[in-house]
Amino acid sequence: MKPKIIEVKNLSKTFSFSVKKHGSSFFRNLVSPEIKTVSAVDDISFEVEEGERIAFIGPNGAGKSTTIKMLTGILFPTKGKISVLGFDPTTDRKALAYKIGTVFGQRSQLFPNLPITDSFEFFGVMYDLSKKEIASRTAELIEQFDLASFKDQPVRKLSLGQRMRAEIAVSLIHKPRIIFLDEPTIGLDVVAKKSLRELLIKINKEEKTTIFLTSHDVGDIESLCDRTIIINHGTVVRDMPTDELSKSFVHEKYLDITLEAKPKNFPELPQGIKYVQKDSNKITLAVDQRVLGVSDALQKILPYFSVSDIDVYNVDLETVIREMYEATSISK
Amino acid sequence: MIKDRIQYPARLIVDTFGIATRCGVLLILYYYIFSTRGGVINGLTFQITAWSMFLYFAFMTLRLRDLATSIMQDIKSGTVEVLLSKPINYLSYRMWWQLGAGLYPFFVAVVLGTIALVVAVGIPASMSSWFFVGTLSIVFILGIILSLLVYAVVGLLAFWIEDIKPLYWIVDKAVMILGGSYLPVALFPKVMYQIAIWSPFGASQFVTHTVYDTWRTGYAEMIGIQVFWIVILGIIVSYMFGRAHKKVSVNGG
Repeated sequence: MKPKIIEVKNLSKTFSFSVKKHGSSFFRNLVSPEIKTVSAVDDISFEVEEGERIAFIGPNGAGKSTTIKMLTGILFPTKGKISVLGFDPTTDRKALAYKIGTVFGQRSQLFPNLPITDSFEFFGVMYDLSKKEIASRTAELIEQFDLASFKDQPVRKLSLGQRMRAEIAVSLIHKPRIIFLDEPTIGLDVVAKKSLRELLIKINKEEKTTIFLTSHDVGDIESLCDRTIIINHGTVVRDMPTDELSKSFVHEKYLDITLEAKPKNFPELPQGIKYVQKDSNKITLAVDQRVLGVSDALQKILPYFSVSDIDVYNVDLETVIREMYEATSISK
Repeated sequence: MIKDRIQYPARLIVDTFGIATRCGVLLILYYYIFSTRGGVINGLTFQITAWSMFLYFAFMTLRLRDLATSIMQDIKSGTVEVLLSKPINYLSYRMWWQLGAGLYPFFVAVVLGTIALVVAVGIPASMSSWFFVGTLSIVFILGIILSLLVYAVVGLLAFWIEDIKPLYWIVDKAVMILGGSYLPVALFPKVMYQIAIWSPFGASQFVTHTVYDTWRTGYAEMIGIQVFWIVILGIIVSYMFGRAHKKVSVNGG
């Protein structure tokens, strides 16, 4: 069994802020404002083993970034315990920072006016590497991340895809044991996303770097992560291997039915079949195979519609995740 | 940091030219005023005034005041979170950054300004001694530390109130006025002079006093005042930063 490098127990984080009391005077609002408390993370627990590739996902405002920021010592938890590589990020932030890397997709850590080689040098010094170590590691990362063709250009002149590759490469200058990535593929085109995912898998395999990422991109989760933790309303709602996640709704088959003519109405469907989408010329149905098979379902629904084409397929991961988000939102 | 700063020589030239123009206009104005009063006002010669003002403007080229707005920008943009994930002390990093960013324009301003003033007005007797060089170095370093602390207090308030611009404006103008930007401190009325001496705003600009004839008798007290404010503001900044880290909030999540 691999060692556990992240241990989170009953972690909670609340944010308090003052809100204006309607009907109260300016002075009263200033002196005794109403304090509102929002629970961003609510009693979550999980563990991560060395070398894992974790997707930490959830809808907007679920508590993903808050959790990452607590794991890296940027934010202080309200309750609970965190151990990352044996360090408590709250008290040992600086010592922990030497062992981890962070990439925030929407915030750059590179110097915009300078070539990326200067950023490598700067962060190398920051992580107490010798000149020789900086030079050899820089050369290694430039090769691995294919940065050679633009290494001398100022960062502000790079494309977003080039910049993100450089961001991740720079964050690996000190060979961190864990890299935390907050939406690393945001805004990238499909080619740049693929290239970035391949690089991260390479780093994970060759340098045994544990990857902990948040993303809204199903492609990141599917092709990069071997385990997925889903968080919603600050609580962990699923924690399972990614390939099992996609099988969660394996009992459902989807039917895309192209209609010859717009139906007058959408009739009530037999048990085990439900509408997923209703358009004037196309409907999508979900068939619960525990209730009836696809051929039975087709026989039952064909009399209702004038059909020109039918497409039968399994549910995709995006739908699984969306349904999980929706289910947990409703239950809250 | 210096490398990043000198990427745009044109910007440096414009900055330096702007400061030189402001300083030059004030010097021409004072030259005219001094010549109408027989060359001496309140025991102060134009030569001393010119050097005092030059020291103020040279100090300003370090742009230590930008520390406050840098902290505010870091908070607004979320960069503070990126920096807090690195093995550094955020505040020390920002202070060194500010210092590094100002060194090149400072060097340019000092070299060019010194040559210009030596040619135009000459060197006053008060400046031609090792005592001047030694005490100027001490007051200069203490002035840098004190300025950084004054602007750090203002900048750190951004953790609570986000937009510190109004407060920054007040503090910055207090430093300019009490530091002798518009009028040499030696010409201040008595009450105003005492405020300039005893406030941290004026104390951060004590370099301007080193050319006065009174410097030899007053330097120990002024250095003491600077040290006093460094200790007080150091404690305040340290306390504020500890509280501020706990106040970091999250954009998104």
